[in-house]
Amino acid sequence: MTTLPWLTAPGSAVAPAPEADVLLGLSGFGGAVPADPRIGGVGDPGTLVLAGPPVGAGGGGLDGHLATWGALPCVDGAGVRTLLRASALDGRGGGGFPLIRKVETARLAAGSPVLVVNASESEPASFKDRTLCAERPHLVLDGAALVAAALGVDEAVVHLHRSPGSPAPVLEAAIGERQRRGLADPRWRLSAGPDRYVSGESSAVASYVDGGQARPLFTTLPLAVAGPSGRPTVVSNAETVAQLAVLVRTGPDAWAARGEPSSPGPRLVTLTGAVGHPGRVVEVSGQATIGDILLAGGHVAPPAAVLVGGYAGAWILGEEAWQTPFTRDALAAVDAGLGCGLIGVLPHGACALVETARLVRYLAGESAGQCGTCVAGLPRLAEACEALASGDLRKRGVRRMVALGDIVLGSGACGHPDAVVRLLRSMLQVFEDDVVGHMAGHPCRGADHPPVFAVPEVDVAIGRDDLREWV
Amino acid sequence: MSVGIRIDPILCRGHAICALFFADGVDLDQWGFGKVVLATAESPKDVRRAYRAAAACPNGAFVVHER
Repeated sequence: MTTLPWLTAPGSAVAPAPEADVLLGLSGFGGAVPADPRIGGVGDPGTLVLAGPPVGAGGGGLDGHLATWGALPCVDGAGVRTLLRASALDGRGGGGFPLIRKVETARLAAGSPVLVVNASESEPASFKDRTLCAERPHLVLDGAALVAAALGVDEAVVHLHRSPGSPAPVLEAAIGERQRRGLADPRWRLSAGPDRYVSGESSAVASYVDGGQARPLFTTLPLAVAGPSGRPTVVSNAETVAQLAVLVRTGPDAWAARGEPSSPGPRLVTLTGAVGHPGRVVEVSGQATIGDILLAGGHVAPPAAVLVGGYAGAWILGEEAWQTPFTRDALAAVDAGLGCGLIGVLPHGACALVETARLVRYLAGESAGQCGTCVAGLPRLAEACEALASGDLRKRGVRRMVALGDIVLGSGACGHPDAVVRLLRSMLQVFEDDVVGHMAGHPCRGADHPPVFAVPEVDVAIGRDDLREWV
Repeated sequence: MSVGIRIDPILCRGHAICALFFADGVDLDQWGFGKVVLATAESPKDVRRAYRAAAACPNGAFVVHER
């Protein structure tokens, strides 16, 4: 093993210089938007994970990757684990679970571990993992190779959804390139599962990769102790492993310094809703507030509200969100979380109740159809929320909706029903005045506003699970 | 000897038979799906009830595990 300078002398880390000739900047949003060095897209100066050629260049293949990053430093499994510990790298898929804990649990468990990199990105408005796989495939594969070394396994599965625009061909080409160069990689396996919301949940991914259906499992033990195959199974998000491939090169301290203690390192954020370019992925470093990030999305003033963490996330009023740092602790203080790094903008004039109702209806239709309370409860919650949004629900109806939410919470094998309930609770709390207005039957100013958060067309009308694909 | 109790929400089909045998241990929702309120049964009486509920569940969703 080559001893890397920062492994012995912390603080001496040197970040690789991003391509000096790439100056894409944030000018696409008009000169009024000041470029914030802490926030940038693919190829923008100042970015770390997204450093390199600008968007659309496909990362320049393996040569482009090596030109930006150099070869993957030769670190053994113990070295990778030291890095994971020193950096406190947190999961970027939504759970925020430290990767080192999954790795150490799997190493202590009986059996040879299974490693799955989850690049399926079920969250329909999130594009960070897709962007990463399409633009920086070698960073994801480098990271996967490092986690494989940390676990002491010689195979890594990269799991994707079968969806239009899937980055599978890019990953396949990248794997081919690496094999031709004879890189010291694990054996690669690309897995492509059904494109469903809950199919990206870690136990559903583990189940599919093991030959089962892409539906969440009822697990009594963590996957890292025993997955569906009986072997310890580590499912880690694509961005998480890409971050590892970055921090092995910059050193954990320089990497972690781009975040703050509760959420170390830079992170990828997808902007959606009423922004210039929904689906734009930016890398956020430092203690940028949501306002700072929205400036990069073309907003110069606080919107009505933001939806943070995902479609089943939490609402924050615009004024408050503008001042809130996009960090785990700061978001927790306003009852929100980082989730998968989604920031959705609700513009002035739109109704948060109408938007929430559409999201709840979509999420209800995305139940895996396994747990009774989720199957029976979510459509009723969606109905109640729609009735509230259209001014047809009174105080008693809202009380019933809250009571039903309490019953649904914690009733499922996975966190899907819980997330829907939390979204509803967040709406009731954050938009209390609007809720009171709707209950009183006051006309809703946002009723005619075009939909802000796009949801995929699903066969909700059918509502019959046996007609939908899980394999 | 205390035992742990779990209801597999995927296997549970809302027959609610567990509640007949172990009313204090489970909470039924309006559809009859059970939620465990007593994650561990301590007294011999509760342990006995838990095992009976497990034996009676037609779907094997009510699981008692020794700890």
